[in-house]
Amino acid sequence: MATTTVAQPSGAGTSRTGAARSAFLLLLGLAALALALCASVVFGSRSTSFGDVLDVLRGTADPTITTIIESRYPRTVLGVLAGVCLAVAGTLMQGVSRNPLAEPGLLGINAGASASIVAATAWFGAAGATDTMWWALPGALIAGVLVHVIGSAGTGASVVRLVLAGAVLTAVLMAFIQAVTLSKPQVFDSYRYWVVGALGGRDFDVFWSVLPFAAVGFLIALALGPGLNALALGDATAVALGSHPGRTRGGGLVAATLLSAAATAAVGPIAFVGLAVPHVVRALAGVDFRAQILFSALMGPTLLLLADVVGRVVMRPTELMVGVVTAFIGAPALLIAVRRMRGTS
Amino acid sequence: MTVTDRTAPVRKAPRGYLTVGSTVAIPLRRASVFAGAGLFVLLLAAGVATLAWGRLGIDLADLPAALVGDAEGKDRFVFNRLRGPRLTVAIGVGAALGLSGALFQSVTRNPLGSPDVIGLSAGAGAGAAFCALMFPDTVPVPVGALIGAILAMALVYVSTGTGFRNPARLVIAGIGVAAMGAAVTQYVVYALERDKASVLTAYVNGSLTARSWTDATTVWLVLAAAAPLAALISRRLDIGEMGDDIAEGLGSEPKKAKTLAVLLAIALSAAAVSVSGPIAFIALTAPQIARRLTRGSGPHLLLSALTGGLLLVLADLCSQQLPLFDDLPVGIYTMAIGGVYLGCLLVGEWRKGVL
Repeated sequence: MATTTVAQPSGAGTSRTGAARSAFLLLLGLAALALALCASVVFGSRSTSFGDVLDVLRGTADPTITTIIESRYPRTVLGVLAGVCLAVAGTLMQGVSRNPLAEPGLLGINAGASASIVAATAWFGAAGATDTMWWALPGALIAGVLVHVIGSAGTGASVVRLVLAGAVLTAVLMAFIQAVTLSKPQVFDSYRYWVVGALGGRDFDVFWSVLPFAAVGFLIALALGPGLNALALGDATAVALGSHPGRTRGGGLVAATLLSAAATAAVGPIAFVGLAVPHVVRALAGVDFRAQILFSALMGPTLLLLADVVGRVVMRPTELMVGVVTAFIGAPALLIAVRRMRGTS
Repeated sequence: MTVTDRTAPVRKAPRGYLTVGSTVAIPLRRASVFAGAGLFVLLLAAGVATLAWGRLGIDLADLPAALVGDAEGKDRFVFNRLRGPRLTVAIGVGAALGLSGALFQSVTRNPLGSPDVIGLSAGAGAGAAFCALMFPDTVPVPVGALIGAILAMALVYVSTGTGFRNPARLVIAGIGVAAMGAAVTQYVVYALERDKASVLTAYVNGSLTARSWTDATTVWLVLAAAAPLAALISRRLDIGEMGDDIAEGLGSEPKKAKTLAVLLAIALSAAAVSVSGPIAFIALTAPQIARRLTRGSGPHLLLSALTGGLLLVLADLCSQQLPLFDDLPVGIYTMAIGGVYLGCLLVGEWRKGVL
């Protein structure tokens, strides 16, 4: 969108319809998110109705129903937070690397955060969300930098190389994680519940302890919008436009790390949200990164909450964790994308 | 094979091949003979170390007696129950994986075309996990692993749209399939009781603990059936590496040989997986190491199998003797070392601008 307005100053009309379209999409996105929020509170292993929720809000529901519905608040709030984090991190990484497959999961950042958290629980007695958050950050950052270093060795980074480097690093870190968890039964027990990626079984404390990190990451992301727009035109053009590609990339990496570390520390590693959402958002919101980041922040939580609801409903009375559901939604999407790939890249 | 002009170049094998008729041609260059002998000696040494090392080890002096079945008491128990089967399985599984990887890489002409990368291991793990959760007493876990592996391969094959040829597509499709497999496995590990979950985790990482002579027989039977067939098509695969057009011009039938090679590779890795669980990276690295030993152009089948056996025996030696972690599944060692090696390999290929 930015490119068309730059190239065609006479396109005021299209710009106005573009604005109308954006406003319409924004409303649609908000409506979808509101719907997902409702669904997350209404549906669960024990079925309740929308009326019950209203009763609870009025304080007139019977205590059992009140307990059931109130137990769904923390996971809903966490779903929103994690959804925003993962989707915006994915959008940033895809924008910075101009790599349509960039995603915290594929590029080893989640594995880095996980390995760091496992090490902390095993040897430094870390427990609770704030502790793990502080451990997740350096792990995620080191992994992100390493993947970029490995991936850009030789003649420069490419899409496939970065994904391969991510897969390699993930393999090594997984070996480490398995070694630690298998030799320490206590760590194994907490790890196996955490690694599937679940919104349930966590309380508001988790939300409050990762919120600051997520907020800082999100603000940096918003500030990077114009820089990313310039970067999309190529490094040379970006410099000519007065932008600093290096600064944008560094900021993007920091913000993406903060966001994905926050999500991973809060709800465990969840794959594919960061991969899938930016693709849909690009198709809807166009090329302007300011719009993309905003729409990602609406769509990420919508997707994650709906996936969580699906997981709660399909296997009643037990639950399927949201990480399992997103893998089974996201991986086929990736496979379809592979089929459509042209040439070798 | 009918005798026409088209078969002439095949019959006239170049120097450095041990030929039997027109179909079998085992490369016998000096480098490969040396490498083969060296690998064999190393494998013997590693095998002896596996049997003899440690508190329960069999004394070197008593080892010959144990090997022919004359040992008594502790040695007999150690050889028949603990280390003998385990070593035999390790060599067999390693060789099967190495051979499978060499066949895959030869057919796909792609150093990454290995069962690990295309999600076979994750699929096998998911199949094993699924059976452990849903049919704990009716379907044996190895059968589940087999089904999972085959499903994963089919899914990757379908989703690439171009078969196993294109490296980029293959890798990314493999990552997608692996992600689904991992999600299933993690869910099952979450849902099971802790002890069962721990056993399952060891299996899906690839473990050689508590193997029996039956396991050894399984993998060695498949190996014995597959190896001669692989030798039969090795020459045609070599030609196939020059490209389908050239191969056809030389009178070879690349498609048939390739189909057979892929089926053999699947059978071999499936046999390995069903015995030991999916052991990471042996199939990927063994052919690469073998190729570097001989400086050959393509994967060398026999040397790849030897290298695979050696790598797995060494890794299993680590898993039994390293005091760092207590009897960690061998697949975790191969994953760590193989991952680092793959990283170096990729950087090397990129420096050359290959990939």
